[in-house]
Amino acid sequence: MAGNVVLVSRYVNFELRRTLRDVGFVIFGIGTPVLMYIMFTNVGDKASAGSSDWAVSAMVGLAAYGALSAGLTTGTAVAEDKAVGWLRQLRITPLSPAQVVLGRAVTGSLMVLPAIVVVFLTAMIGNGVRLDAWQWLALTLLLWVGSLPFTMLGIANGYQLSAQTTNVTNIICNLTLALIGGLWFPLSEFPGWLASVAEWTPGHLLGRLGWDTVDGNAPGAVTIVGLAAWLLVFGAYAAYAYRRSGRRA
Amino acid sequence: MTTIHTTTPVVVFTGAVKEFGAVRAVDGLDLTIGRGERVALLGRNGAGKSTSIGLLLGLDDPTAGSVRLCGVPPVQAVRDGRVGAMLQDFKPVSRATVRELVSFVAGTYPAPLPVDEVLELAGLTELAGRRADKLSGGQAQRVSFAVAMAGDPDLLVLDEPTAALDVQARRAFWASMRTFTDRGKTVLFSTHHLEEADQNSDRIVVIDRGRLIADGSSAEIKRTVGVGVVSFDLPSGPLPSGLEDLPGVVSVEVAGGRVRLRTSDSDATVGALPRLVAPRGLEIAAAGLEDAFLSLTSHTATASSTASSAASSSADAPVTTQKAGM
Repeated sequence: MAGNVVLVSRYVNFELRRTLRDVGFVIFGIGTPVLMYIMFTNVGDKASAGSSDWAVSAMVGLAAYGALSAGLTTGTAVAEDKAVGWLRQLRITPLSPAQVVLGRAVTGSLMVLPAIVVVFLTAMIGNGVRLDAWQWLALTLLLWVGSLPFTMLGIANGYQLSAQTTNVTNIICNLTLALIGGLWFPLSEFPGWLASVAEWTPGHLLGRLGWDTVDGNAPGAVTIVGLAAWLLVFGAYAAYAYRRSGRRA
Repeated sequence: MTTIHTTTPVVVFTGAVKEFGAVRAVDGLDLTIGRGERVALLGRNGAGKSTSIGLLLGLDDPTAGSVRLCGVPPVQAVRDGRVGAMLQDFKPVSRATVRELVSFVAGTYPAPLPVDEVLELAGLTELAGRRADKLSGGQAQRVSFAVAMAGDPDLLVLDEPTAALDVQARRAFWASMRTFTDRGKTVLFSTHHLEEADQNSDRIVVIDRGRLIADGSSAEIKRTVGVGVVSFDLPSGPLPSGLEDLPGVVSVEVAGGRVRLRTSDSDATVGALPRLVAPRGLEIAAAGLEDAFLSLTSHTATASSTASSAASSSADAPVTTQKAGM
């Protein structure tokens, strides 16, 4: 067990160094949600754009979006590694497949954190958003853990698809899940039939975790079960895709 | 942790078969490699070398038969850190330095070599701080070698390790390889260069169409394949019989108005030739590798029909006869 942790942490350490050198990923991954947050809360109709309610709910929406987006991006790196044969090389080291996938997931998750935190800092400093200390902490942890299904989905796409297809697929997943999840515009602006479907999409459930927290409520059981179900679905997809990629001639 | 008995062979293929759809890439391979042997897996492109290596490393499962590594299934041996490998078409992973890459791989093994020593052996000390994905092809190949030996494995498996290298880099590669393997490592490498197999192994295993067709020391293989070609104009009248029984002769071909004798001893063959025929336009040449493979592989293709008959024709255009008992 201890050896297991050491091996995985070595792998995480190696992958983190590589990821942080990917300047494009770091800037876009962190910069995009922040930029959108600044635009959504400072541009346009001053009265509604500047309202403190909107500043808070947009903050949660865009932090969730940053988490979702960073999680998915991990998959693009996986597809790249597959293309150069690195995944095959890893299979002839003593690392087990489970350790490789775990290491990847942990790395992906760690890259989610800055995306969340930087949106929060922007909201605090730029829009004067104030929450209780426990709320900041809970919000960060919940969005972080809640982004796991998206990391899994990204990794699964990476194992399943070619490098270019993964890129495009992850962007489509990114935009669709964020938009339909109401992370950019609230579901109340959707037509009723769409809103009732959108409620169950993983993006919205992730946002829900955060919005409940800023309202001072514990996350609902339905939200947690819903996200856990998505984690199961995407996790199974990732396991399937990993096994399949190994069977390549 | 089980201790491996010194008599346990490092590699054992038993009737291994690997099919991809309708294609039998490996077709009943039997091969045993003992500790400390340096074995060359020789074969043409598409002969089944890479697939055999894939089975050996546990990257693929055999369709039938079995493969054992150090007495256990390959995946287990890999997990125990007993194997290091250079895969074909290695490209270093992006955004990591040479040292980071080698250190990481070394760190996954239970008893790795010191990283500095690995870099030194692979000739990468100067390049340690460089990004591995920004290196030239030859340098990248050295990184691949460093990655393979970083964990100080018992068995080193190299799939066409020098395919991308020029002659000079090739020589340098084998020199550093020997420094490492002289520590009592078992080595299996694939190549389609007969000379490379000759110079860097104690034993050559030739495979074709997924089957083992020759197995022996370099000298034995050369004797089988023939190292020289003695050719002369096709005499008018019938071809004298008994050419295939001349000293050294391995095979006789007639093509393009010439008779070609493949031989393991050109001098002896030429010396004896006048007994049968007065050769015109006599030429003596070293056998090319493609020739050697043609000889071996047409041998297997028609082995049963030519084993005892003195002159039978294969399906191919040139008439080929083979000496029996090779």
